[in-house]
Amino acid sequence: MSLYDATAHAFALLFSGDAALWRIIWVSLKTSIIGLLLATPPAVLLGYAIAMHRFPGRRIVVWLAQCALSLPTVLIGLVLYLLLSRRGPLGPLEWLFSQSGIILGQFVVGLPVLLAFTLAAVQGLDARYAETARALGASRWRVMTTVLHEARYGVMAAVISGFGRVISEVGCALMVGGNIEGETRTITTAIALETSKGEFAQGIALGIVLVALALLMNGALMLLQGEAHAAGGRA
Amino acid sequence: MSALLTIRGLKKRHGERLLFDIDELSLDAASAYVLTGVNGVGKSTLLRVLAGLDSAQVDSVSFEGKPVALHPYPQLLRRAIVYVHQHPIMFSTSVAQNIGYGLIARGEAKARVASLVEEAMAWAGVGYLRDTDPARLSGGEKQRVALARARVLQPRLLLLDEPTANLDGAAREQVIALIPTLMEQGTTVVMACHDRDLIGLPGVRRLKLRDGRLEYRA
Repeated sequence: MSLYDATAHAFALLFSGDAALWRIIWVSLKTSIIGLLLATPPAVLLGYAIAMHRFPGRRIVVWLAQCALSLPTVLIGLVLYLLLSRRGPLGPLEWLFSQSGIILGQFVVGLPVLLAFTLAAVQGLDARYAETARALGASRWRVMTTVLHEARYGVMAAVISGFGRVISEVGCALMVGGNIEGETRTITTAIALETSKGEFAQGIALGIVLVALALLMNGALMLLQGEAHAAGGRA
Repeated sequence: MSALLTIRGLKKRHGERLLFDIDELSLDAASAYVLTGVNGVGKSTLLRVLAGLDSAQVDSVSFEGKPVALHPYPQLLRRAIVYVHQHPIMFSTSVAQNIGYGLIARGEAKARVASLVEEAMAWAGVGYLRDTDPARLSGGEKQRVALARARVLQPRLLLLDEPTANLDGAAREQVIALIPTLMEQGTTVVMACHDRDLIGLPGVRRLKLRDGRLEYRA
């Protein structure tokens, strides 16, 4: 099958409302979004705390966070597999080869991205914001919400980068999820499988969805940042 | 006149270098001071230490006769002392919300915040900026909004870091005109500055930081 035929067939599949195909997209979106929703609060809090405080070993923490960005997701998958397998410490949860397992994987894969980007956004912010808030009598909590509000475009970029990382990763979802049809088959694991079976149309259809999602998310970010520039703020 | 803030044995080091070593810093209530000294002598740092934004070593601190610590910076001082940056930064909300920020942080009721903010905007002559994006304000407008944002909290001690630096013409005069009215409400004002017009304001006493020591000038 030529690339053209495969692509034409892919669009036909997408618009015919092929149930299996849309089920895969749904599983991918659901696990990515839940994983990201769970990872965002702790990652943003930690990123803020590391950016704002001086403590012994701080540089090591920053270094480790940056390193975690480039951890191969198959390695994360392998560690989680061992933890979740029947004899592993998390075995009793029975999360291996389940959507809960994939969500845990997305949480672990997304957290360092969110943390490192939030850290950079807060660290890059003018120190006078936090100082002004403190000088005007803001509590620690209010200083944090003020600083995160001023760094909001950076934090949004963190969330979008995190989404990009979890929706597109294949290693962890494959190892922890097991690529079970209708249950734990995600866009990326399905593409790998369909390609190995020679079913290129399905793979391309899923690839188109993935690219469309990336375009959508990054377009939204650009629009928001464009508004920030128009308002004379910092993106 | 009663003493508002007295600090004994105030030392600040930058690494090995001793920036200043002040035997006694004493500020009276409802008084105005200018803090002069060449660039890099530590004027800003001194104000930042008083505001709890920088650390320093002290022997003793008393505020209105009560002994207090500087670290951790006590709530008593936080409520009484407000510091304004040389180049004040505006939160990306609105001008009115910037001015009301400290009042909201203190948990004041909305209606009271609104009326105090109105009053402060009228005082600083920035009412026309109500709906302007704070990022678009000029240097002089930012300084006046920052003064209103500080004054609305009715601090006992207001620390202004070079309030007229980088301003000229009308913008500078508008800021200078606000300073005497700050003193009228019983606030002690300390201004780090080089501006002769501020130094020459009636009733302003002069502190000079030189070679790490504080001198009281007549």
